[in-house]
Amino acid sequence: MSLTDQDEALISAALEGSARAWERLVRRYEGRVYNFALRMTGNETEALDLMQEVFLGVYRNLQRFRGDSQFTTWLFRIAHNKAVDMNRRKYLLTPLASLGGAEQTEDEVLEQLHDETQEQNPLTLLDTEQRNAGVMKLLNRLSWDQRLVVELKVFQSCTFEEIAEMQDISANTAKTRFYTAMKLLKTQMEQTHVV
Amino acid sequence: MSCNETAHIVAARFDDSLSPRQRRLLDEHVAACAECRDALADTQASAAQLRQWQEVPVPQWQRVPEGLREKQRASRPRFSFWTQWLPLATACMLALAVVLNVQVQIGGNGVQMAFGGSTQAQDISAQLAQFEQEQRTAQQQAMQQLAVQLEERQTTANLRLMETMVEQFGESTTRSMEQVLAYFEAQRQEDLQLLESSYQRLADSDFQTIRSVQQLANYVQYQGGQLQ
Repeated sequence: MSLTDQDEALISAALEGSARAWERLVRRYEGRVYNFALRMTGNETEALDLMQEVFLGVYRNLQRFRGDSQFTTWLFRIAHNKAVDMNRRKYLLTPLASLGGAEQTEDEVLEQLHDETQEQNPLTLLDTEQRNAGVMKLLNRLSWDQRLVVELKVFQSCTFEEIAEMQDISANTAKTRFYTAMKLLKTQMEQTHVV
Repeated sequence: MSCNETAHIVAARFDDSLSPRQRRLLDEHVAACAECRDALADTQASAAQLRQWQEVPVPQWQRVPEGLREKQRASRPRFSFWTQWLPLATACMLALAVVLNVQVQIGGNGVQMAFGGSTQAQDISAQLAQFEQEQRTAQQQAMQQLAVQLEERQTTANLRLMETMVEQFGESTTRSMEQVLAYFEAQRQEDLQLLESSYQRLADSDFQTIRSVQQLANYVQYQGGQLQ
């Protein structure tokens, strides 16, 4: 049974009221959604809130999923919309402003990410925190729209057509936005001597 | 010289759905365009840096929404409904069976169910009455036989007892009878003697009476003669 078939089987069972099937479906994708939310919000509390909103939205709209696209595409369309909603409610911009400012040191970013990785091995923890803090510093340099495009393309492997549909823009605009964002990241990397 | 295709070239490089022909054209353009080549190098470096992200484990959270949990709980009463109402339904059925006098019989013909007083019950009652009557008659006959046997045994026993008594007391009875006869004889002799003496006294008394009468007659004759 392929991954898509397994997804569809779990969705069918969940629609019939199987809590176990739903939980298996959630466990299959919660890692991707949570890390997506963490990169978009920058802190654990809001990431957890966003993830819960995403899966609640998935549950409420599960009957509308017809299998025309992959479940992951449908899932991240909802995730994208929920992230945008959260951003509009001003819950997202505040931590981004504090994280994205030039005033924020790498130690502050590390401290902010510490809660998410505190149960890991200390050496792994340090490595993870440093790597993730570096990524977060780069992402914080991007605008909200650029950040979404980069997230959906680099981490979620969405096509530009899918990104364009989610953001209600043309595919060419999505491609240009992506290129601009990546060029900006490269510039930021050179400034911070990452590369 | 600025290339207008750079954004598309970079985007195309990140697109996995290119056909072989499209990929060949892309490679040809990148080989010929320094700007696109540099842009591709930069974006790939940026992407590599972003992919340094380490997956953060998901903290514990409530995965099953409340709506689904309620749905799950709502689906459970199917089982608990039966466990709740089955004993009551069984009790009602049994009570109804008692009230309607339902009789279930399992035999060679399968399961037979009858409601109310069935003919079978009547048959059983008649058979019981007949059996009771037969038992009563048999008991009476047995009692009569026992009484006869007992009477015979008692008669025999009485005879044996009488014989034994006669044997045991025969001699003493004979002796007693002789003594009684002797006693009677003595009494008779004594009575005869008493009777003789009584006769004698009576005779003496009669003689005196006659003499008195003769004196009275004499006196009467004397008195009569004087009157004349």
